[in-house]
Amino acid sequence: MDFRERLRRHRKDNRLIVGGLAALLAVFTGAFYLVQRSRELPAFLVTNRVLLFVLWYVNVVLILSVLFVLLRNLFKLLIERRHRILGSTFKFKLVATYVGLSLIPVLLLFAIATELLRGSVDRWFNTPLKPVLAQGEAVAQALYERIEQDDLRDAERALAEVRWYDLKRPEERLRLTRRLRELLAELKLDVLAVYEGTDFVHAVINSEAGIPELPEPGRDFLDEAAKKGRAVRREEPPGGRGGRLVLAGVAGAPVPTATAGEKGAAPLVVVAGTRIAPALAGKGDALIQGFQAFRQLEVQKDDLRASYLLIFLMVTLLILLASSWVGLYLARRVTVPIQALAEGTRRISIGDLGHRVDVDADDELGVLVHSFNRMTEELESNKELLERSNRELQATNQRLGGERALMAAVLENVAAGVVSTDAVGRIFTCNGAALNLLRQREEEVLGRQVAEAWADPERRKLAVLLSGAREGAEGAAGTATQELHLVLGGEWKTFEAKVTAMRGSDGALLGRVLVLEDTTELIKAQQLAAWRDAARRIAHEIKNPLTPIRLAAERLLQKNRLNDPRLSQAIEEAVDIIVREVTILQEMVDEFSRFARMPRPRPAPVDLARLVGETVNLYQDLKPGVAVAGAVAPHLPGIQLDAEQIKRALINLLDNAVEATDAPGSVTVAAQPIDGHLEIQVSDTGRGIPAESKEKLFLPYFSTKGRGTGLGLAIVHRIVADHHGSVRVEDNRPRGSVFTLELPLE
Amino acid sequence: MRATAALLISSSLILLLSPAPARAEGKIAGLEVAVEGGRVLASLTLVDAFRHRLRERVDSGLPTSIVYRFELDKDRTHWWDRYLEERTLEVVAMYDAVARHYTVNYKLDGKLVDSRTVHDQQALAEAMTRVQALPIFSLANLPREWRLLVKARAELGSRTLLSIIPVAITTDWAESQKFRIPGPP
Repeated sequence: MDFRERLRRHRKDNRLIVGGLAALLAVFTGAFYLVQRSRELPAFLVTNRVLLFVLWYVNVVLILSVLFVLLRNLFKLLIERRHRILGSTFKFKLVATYVGLSLIPVLLLFAIATELLRGSVDRWFNTPLKPVLAQGEAVAQALYERIEQDDLRDAERALAEVRWYDLKRPEERLRLTRRLRELLAELKLDVLAVYEGTDFVHAVINSEAGIPELPEPGRDFLDEAAKKGRAVRREEPPGGRGGRLVLAGVAGAPVPTATAGEKGAAPLVVVAGTRIAPALAGKGDALIQGFQAFRQLEVQKDDLRASYLLIFLMVTLLILLASSWVGLYLARRVTVPIQALAEGTRRISIGDLGHRVDVDADDELGVLVHSFNRMTEELESNKELLERSNRELQATNQRLGGERALMAAVLENVAAGVVSTDAVGRIFTCNGAALNLLRQREEEVLGRQVAEAWADPERRKLAVLLSGAREGAEGAAGTATQELHLVLGGEWKTFEAKVTAMRGSDGALLGRVLVLEDTTELIKAQQLAAWRDAARRIAHEIKNPLTPIRLAAERLLQKNRLNDPRLSQAIEEAVDIIVREVTILQEMVDEFSRFARMPRPRPAPVDLARLVGETVNLYQDLKPGVAVAGAVAPHLPGIQLDAEQIKRALINLLDNAVEATDAPGSVTVAAQPIDGHLEIQVSDTGRGIPAESKEKLFLPYFSTKGRGTGLGLAIVHRIVADHHGSVRVEDNRPRGSVFTLELPLE
Repeated sequence: MRATAALLISSSLILLLSPAPARAEGKIAGLEVAVEGGRVLASLTLVDAFRHRLRERVDSGLPTSIVYRFELDKDRTHWWDRYLEERTLEVVAMYDAVARHYTVNYKLDGKLVDSRTVHDQQALAEAMTRVQALPIFSLANLPREWRLLVKARAELGSRTLLSIIPVAITTDWAESQKFRIPGPP
């Protein structure tokens, strides 16, 4: 692990932070202690030039450190902002806030405190203390000077006498000694000494002055006195008993004598000394030294102020460095995870879902980082899942595309026209067969509402059928079937139209499919076949009455030729047969005429219960053992029907039902509204209808009874169709048949 | 690389912020040298230095010093002179306000070589600003063909700029006449 890595790890160690703060606290405490102690230190130590320079260099280093820390971080932030690194703006603001919050108060405090300190130092030396000390010093100096002047005067007086002595002669020296003693007492001196130049001659000392030995004035003093005529000194008295000794020396030439005073002789120097008592000298010295101390402080004022300011600046810079560092550290602790998160977000946004944020944080940001990484993991796994699903979907789409193409091919190749609409009736598929059947182009149909695509009167029938289906006209199976007759391109066309609702798994309507089958040719063929059958049946029906008529006529001819006496009887019988058979023919013709001339229905409000009741009553007790009953739901809504035609249809159905039902049995007519339609069912417990006959049951002239015109159920079909309804036949359970008429309620 | 750049920037700033010596408070006049017995004797006079600031400081009783730095160089005509040796004479004055005399000590490279007592400021100024025939350098072991010179500068203490920046007060360097070691080459 290299140093950088270790530093990076330790930087996040809270113990290191606490240790650093403790070290800073120790430094501050030490600085504070030094400042406190500096009051006790001599001024010349505090203002020592070396100390000043050391303090200044320490401050320079600290200033550079603060600048380095701030500028380095500022430079890095600017670079990051220039390179538009995510989170750099936030980091810049946070760092600026932190550093600003630490810098501004500290700098303001420093400025104010500096000014206060400067003012305080100036005020120290502006106090009235200086004149007081100066006066005290002047008093002390005046005292010393007074004593000096007195000693000088006394020394001059002594010199005036001493210069007359001939110091070469021993008796004169003895006389001088006595005189010096007298002068010492007379002038109240403590020391009186005589020198010849710098050579000692004689001296007397006041034994009560506390001076155990003769003080040595020194060669300089004697030279100065000899040269200048006078000299004064203040010195410590010998013996170490304290006090101060003032010496005053005066010089003068000796009076020439026989033995002395020849030209070139050394001048006489008389030194008078006074010892100042220790108490007084101490006070005087203290006054002088106190003033000196003040003057020293005054002289060192600038250096003193500089020292204090530099110490204060040092402490300020230390605080600034610490606060800046802490501010930057705190900002980094916040911004690094956020920057990592922003970078992570960017990487995620460009699709790098494998990216993880690697930041050690144990606070809320740590929770955020953990949540981000977990979210990214989920995104990655979801993306993999999505991609897998997408691949599967693509495969499914390819398969569906193939199936769709196959379906389209199938639709295009089926003969039936297939049209599909969505839930709101917009056409979205229409195969070629449908376009051919409807004589339209694709662009006239696709994407349009059915009402718009089929707006002309003929095609509108299709729109009406789909609209009706949309409104719920489909049967229970979701399918509605109707035969439509359209005139398209001048041709009469018959379509078998089947509408089927498409529903989702939840039952919601998705759309509808309309299947059109061109039954024009089929119907033509059916009609041709029906007409053949009808012709055959008509021929058969006509032939049946014609045979008895022909036989009756031939019998009459034979009787007539034989002149049979029973001719008249035979005529009556033959006429009877002919009339009866002609009547049958007449009825048959009437039946055909009625079918052919069946009028258009004229709907009017009908009391269906009453209509059913009256019809059922016609068949009461008609066939023993066969019960005929009606069951009409109460409170039927207002119904518009042609009552006569519906009654006719019911009679046709009841005729067949009663005839087909053996005793014991029952026939029931029931009517009820279902899904917007009126449903009328005629059910019986009779023999039932073979499946192969059901398809042709409603064709004209089809009959399973082997007699009759075969028009009964065709008439029923015609009546129901004219009422825009439908009729179907189903097996009754457990036996018999059920004919169901569905008629629109409106 | 970044550490080197930071070091260079820091050094430059330190140099910029370093206390520059203040000039123009006195100057050295009459720096003369004499060679005697293989030794260089230097004499000089420091003029315009003993002003109010210095007098005030001495009279306050504070030890006040003037430091003379002597530098022996080999003269080179078209290049900077070659430094050979340096010696320092520190003249320290202290005033006894009670006894009313000044004690002046002379220290050559920190060693006390003389001490005087004077009783007035004129004598003090003379004692502190005049150096007379001070033996400072030995010329032994130096080639005789070299042309030598002595440079001298005086340091007069310090003062402060902007209340906090200490500034050393020095004179300009003065140069003696160039000389050679006498004797046969």
